[in-house]
Amino acid sequence: MGQLNLRQVQKFYGTYKVLKCIELEVKNGEFVVFVGPSGCGKSTLLRIIAGLDETTAGDIVIDGERVNDLPPVKRGIAMVFQSYALYPHMTVFENIAFPLRVEKMPEEKLKAKVEHAARILHLGERLQQKPGMLSGGQRQRVAIGRAIVREPKIFLFDEPLSNLDAALRADMRIELAKLHRQLKATMIYVTHDQVEAMTMADRIVVLNAGEIAQTGAPLELYHKPANVFVAGFIGHPRMNFLPVTCKGASDAGIEIDCLGQTAIIPVYPRAGMVGATLTLGIRPEHIEIGSGDLSLTITPSVIERLGAHTVAYASLGEDGENYCATLPGTVALRTDEPVKTGIRAADCHLFDQNGMAFERRVEMTDIDMALFDPAAA
Amino acid sequence: MSQPAMINRYRWYELVGIYAGIFLFLSFILAPFVEGFLVSLKPLGLLFSSPYRFWPENGSFEAYRTMWVSVPGFARYIFNSFFISTIVTAVVLLLVVPSAYAFARFKFRGSGALLAAFLAVNMFSGAVLLIPLFRLMRSLGVLNTYFAMIVPGVAFLIPSAIWLLRTYMMRIPRELDEAAFVDGASHFYTLRRVILPIAMPGIAVVAITTFIGSYAQQFIFALTFNSKTEYMPLPIGLYAYFGRQEVVWNELMAASFVGIAPAVIVIFFLQRYLVSGLTAGAVKQ
Repeated sequence: MGQLNLRQVQKFYGTYKVLKCIELEVKNGEFVVFVGPSGCGKSTLLRIIAGLDETTAGDIVIDGERVNDLPPVKRGIAMVFQSYALYPHMTVFENIAFPLRVEKMPEEKLKAKVEHAARILHLGERLQQKPGMLSGGQRQRVAIGRAIVREPKIFLFDEPLSNLDAALRADMRIELAKLHRQLKATMIYVTHDQVEAMTMADRIVVLNAGEIAQTGAPLELYHKPANVFVAGFIGHPRMNFLPVTCKGASDAGIEIDCLGQTAIIPVYPRAGMVGATLTLGIRPEHIEIGSGDLSLTITPSVIERLGAHTVAYASLGEDGENYCATLPGTVALRTDEPVKTGIRAADCHLFDQNGMAFERRVEMTDIDMALFDPAAA
Repeated sequence: MSQPAMINRYRWYELVGIYAGIFLFLSFILAPFVEGFLVSLKPLGLLFSSPYRFWPENGSFEAYRTMWVSVPGFARYIFNSFFISTIVTAVVLLLVVPSAYAFARFKFRGSGALLAAFLAVNMFSGAVLLIPLFRLMRSLGVLNTYFAMIVPGVAFLIPSAIWLLRTYMMRIPRELDEAAFVDGASHFYTLRRVILPIAMPGIAVVAITTFIGSYAQQFIFALTFNSKTEYMPLPIGLYAYFGRQEVVWNELMAASFVGIAPAVIVIFFLQRYLVSGLTAGAVKQ
């Protein structure tokens, strides 16, 4: 079992609030990713769960037991550090065996466990080498090996892939996802890389300035971001935001005025919004060449041709706000030549003055059958 | 032939300048040694011949044999020096390793003040404190023992050793401690299994400086706190070659060279541990 509850966890450094009242439940066997910009408190939160830092207030509960005052090893957690933190003077075998040596496990049992871990991580031939002789990916696997020999209830990963190059990171992502399925353990993973978050997580916790901005499945965050921050943070390139005026609300959605055009955005309206300035959000990948419910003529200043798609950057409006469009395939665009682009109203996101989203009229089951929960039906 | 890196290539006049500078300063350090060695080879009668000859005529190693005869206790003095320095080094290491670890890793009230105090103590030379120390030793009744020479030696060498080792240990990534802590290791287990092996080059440096420091400073403590011949260390023992009428210069020089030999041997063995790059692969830098 590895079920974790965070109850109103707070952390202050003097008067600076690193974490403001974090409330979270992690189910047994879940892969939860904490994601957020640097300084949002995600690593602090992980270190608090690990027992390396203490909370200012609030409880950490693992499997129903309050563990605030327990050392890491008694909490049943294992942690993989960003810098690997391998012991350079020990062989790979001894590195992986370290936690077992601490608990004075008999030699035979220890050997079997280390070899089992090495087999899972494909480190069999490296056991007698020192960490200095290994590549980055192998070192990371040794660090993971040291975590899995103890068979903890909860694995904690602190940006474990951020020191690897892009290709290796993609490989390790897949290996970690496999490992999670194999071990069926609860994993909590901290990253600032949204690709890692989107690809590996069962559930993503987006943190912003010490608060949980939103918790949800990857596609839920993508399709139904709760606020401007999550909308801007999830998705690459960033979502475009345009100021619009609310002209009316009906069952069909909210009617908006955007640069002289009107459109009805299919969201659940709230009362008293007429006349207010709202924010329209549109993801770059939802912009098409030609016309749509809303049409915008943009003049790209930079064009990135990536083969699979073409990214055009333009400035919009008087204050020259960045506007970005990701177009599928190779598109015949030239810099400084105007091009007409269209947006479908159904793809749009709408946020109120406080940056909170109006819920979109999309069913998650329409997006991905995997998200359909038969038990709830 | 491989060329040295661009920044290490010099014009001929630059090379001449460099070597001239090296020669100038090195000669100040090495000339006494050369002179001392040459004196040890000369028969005593030739030493005061006029005109003075730098190179020994019919030089021999005779003084290296007669020195043992004219001062029979000399082997004992070497042993004493070696013994005192070894014990001092061992005690210093035993105390300094855990305390340097504590200063490097733990935040506790007064750690900054303590470190500053250690530095301040170092500004006093042992000589300033000789008389209070003498009175202390006398009231404790430990004058004329090894103890009287070892304890002040340890006390005066601890501060610099702590500073040296603390700096080294602060360079060891903190994640290693944290990883060990997460894996259930206690502070002492972490120190013994993780920090000690990685800090070995730093500990070797501390051991060497402490050993040399102790070898050098025992003179002043031995002179004050000890009057027993059998406990005399080497620097005091050398006075035995100062006779009533004359100084046996050639034997004195020979004895000096023989006396530093054990220290040289110890340093030779310790420097094996001075390998750098031992932390390679611990963390990504």
